[in-house]
Amino acid sequence: MIAKPRSRALEPEREPLPGEPAALAAQPSVVRVRDLRMRYGDAEPVVEGVSLAVDEGQVVSLVGPSGSGKSTVLRAIAGLHQPDGGTVELGVAAAETGFLFQDDALLPWRTARQNVALGLKLHGRAPAEALAEADRWLARMGLAGLKGRYPRQLSGGQRKRVALAQVLALKPRLLLMDEPFASLDAIVRHHVTQDLLAWIERESIAVLLVTHDLEEAQALSDVVYLLSRGPRAHVRNRYPVAIPRPRDLIGARGHPSFAPLLAHIWNDLSAEVGPLGDTA
Amino acid sequence: MSELFERRWVRQALALTALILLWELLSRAGVIDPFYAPPPSTVAVTLYQLFAGGEIWKHIAATFTAALLGLAGGLVIGAALGFAAAMIPPLADVLEPVMILLNAIPRVILAPLFIIWFGIDIGSKVALSLVLVAVLVFFSVYSGIREVDTRLVERVKTLGGGRGTLLREVYVPSVTAWVMGSLKVAASFAFTGAVVGEFVASSRGLGYLLSFAQSTYNAAQTLALILIIMGFVLVLFWLAGRVERRLLHWRYA
Repeated sequence: MIAKPRSRALEPEREPLPGEPAALAAQPSVVRVRDLRMRYGDAEPVVEGVSLAVDEGQVVSLVGPSGSGKSTVLRAIAGLHQPDGGTVELGVAAAETGFLFQDDALLPWRTARQNVALGLKLHGRAPAEALAEADRWLARMGLAGLKGRYPRQLSGGQRKRVALAQVLALKPRLLLMDEPFASLDAIVRHHVTQDLLAWIERESIAVLLVTHDLEEAQALSDVVYLLSRGPRAHVRNRYPVAIPRPRDLIGARGHPSFAPLLAHIWNDLSAEVGPLGDTA
Repeated sequence: MSELFERRWVRQALALTALILLWELLSRAGVIDPFYAPPPSTVAVTLYQLFAGGEIWKHIAATFTAALLGLAGGLVIGAALGFAAAMIPPLADVLEPVMILLNAIPRVILAPLFIIWFGIDIGSKVALSLVLVAVLVFFSVYSGIREVDTRLVERVKTLGGGRGTLLREVYVPSVTAWVMGSLKVAASFAFTGAVVGEFVASSRGLGYLLSFAQSTYNAAQTLALILIIMGFVLVLFWLAGRVERRLLHWRYA
C-alpha cells in the first residue's frame, strides 16, 4: 500500500539529459527521471521516454497539453504509481518529499490543526509537540484563529493554506506540486503563491511543479519542461529561465527575458496542440 | 399570529389537529363506521387503559429487548462481515451474492423459519431483527470501504502513513459516516423485525398484542398499539440522531 522509500545517494556526475547543457549535469540532482514509461492497465502508454532532472534548490515546471501525462510523471516520482519502464531516482529520502495535490482534500473529520499535526506525528513527533508545531505553522499561514475549524468551515483558500502548512511543516527538501492553486481565485492565488515562493527561496527547497499556466511556470521556475501531446508524451523542449532570485510574482513578469521566452514556449505549445487547441 | 403560521411545524400541527377533529366528528356522526375507524377519543381511552393496567410494560419490554439486541447484533455482525469482505476479496466473492440475495428478498419471509429454528421466545425475534439490520449494515460498511475517497488515501500516504494509519485516519471515520447515515433506517428495521416476529408467533410483545387485537376485530386497540409502536420508533430515531450528531460532529460543527 505504501511506496517504498527510494532514497539513494545520486552521484553528482551524470549524463546530460536531452537539451540540457553538460555543465548543469555536473550538479547533484534531487530528482532524476530517465526514459520514464507509464501506462494505466493495458492502454497505450501515457508517457514514454520522459527524462528530466530537478537539482538542489531548483524550481522546475512541467507544462504541456492537457492529457500529456504531467500529473502521471509527478505521481511516479511520488511513488503513487509504479513506472512501466525507465527509472525514477530520488536524491532525498521519501520522508523528505512533500506532495501538494490539486484538490485540497483534508481529512474532513479532523480540525485544521489535527490535519497539520498528522504528518508531524507520522514523522515521529510526540502528539503534544506535533500539535504545538501545527499551531505555529497555521499562525505562519495567517490561520491562527481558525486552527480549531473543520475543513468544511474553511474557504478554499484557507483549506489550501492548511494543506500547504501540512506539507511544509515536514520540512521537505523536495516539493512535488500538481496544479496546487488551480482552484483558487486570482487574488487568493497570488497571495498563496507569493508566500510559497518566498518560503521555497528561503529554505532552498527543490520543487517540481505541474501547471497549465505558462506565466506561472515561468515566474516561479529556473527550468520549464514542455511535454508533447499524449499518448506516448515525451519531453518536447527544456527552457532555462534567466530571472534572478529572490523573485516576486509581479516583478518576475517585468523582467526583459520574460515576454520573449513566454512567446517561445507558447509557440512550441501551440504547435504541439494544433490550430484548434484540441487535445482530445 | 400570521408570523406563527409561517413556521412549518405550526402548520403541520394545525393540519394534524384538523384531521383528528374531522375524524372524530365524522365517526361520531356515523358518516364513517366507528367499528372500522373508532373516533380518536376512543383510541385515546384505549391507550390510557393499556397503560393504566400496567400489563403493557411487559410487552413493551419484550419488543424493545428483541429490537435492541437485534440492532446491536446486526451492527456488529454486519460491520464485521462488511469489513472482512472489503479487505479479503475471495471472501467478498462468496459473501456478496448471499447479501445481494438477502437484500433483494423481503427478509421478513424468514420469520416462520426462525420460529421453527429458535422457538417462539425472544430468540426468533432477535434473529429476524438481526438479519434485517446486518444486511443493511453490511452494505454500508462494504461500500464505505470500497468507495473511500482515494484522494484522502493518497494524501495520508504521501504524509508517510502506513496501513494502520490509513485504517485509523481514513477508513474507520469514513465508514462511520456511512453507517451513521443508515442508523435511523437500521433502528426502524430492528423494530420491524421484532414486531413481525411477534406477530407470527409469540406469547408476549407489542406484535403479539397487535395480532391479538386484530384477531378480535378490535380496531381501537389496534390503532392504540400502532400509536405506541410509532412513538417508540420516533424515540429511537431521536436517539439515533443524537448518536449520529455526536459521532459525526465534524459534519455538524
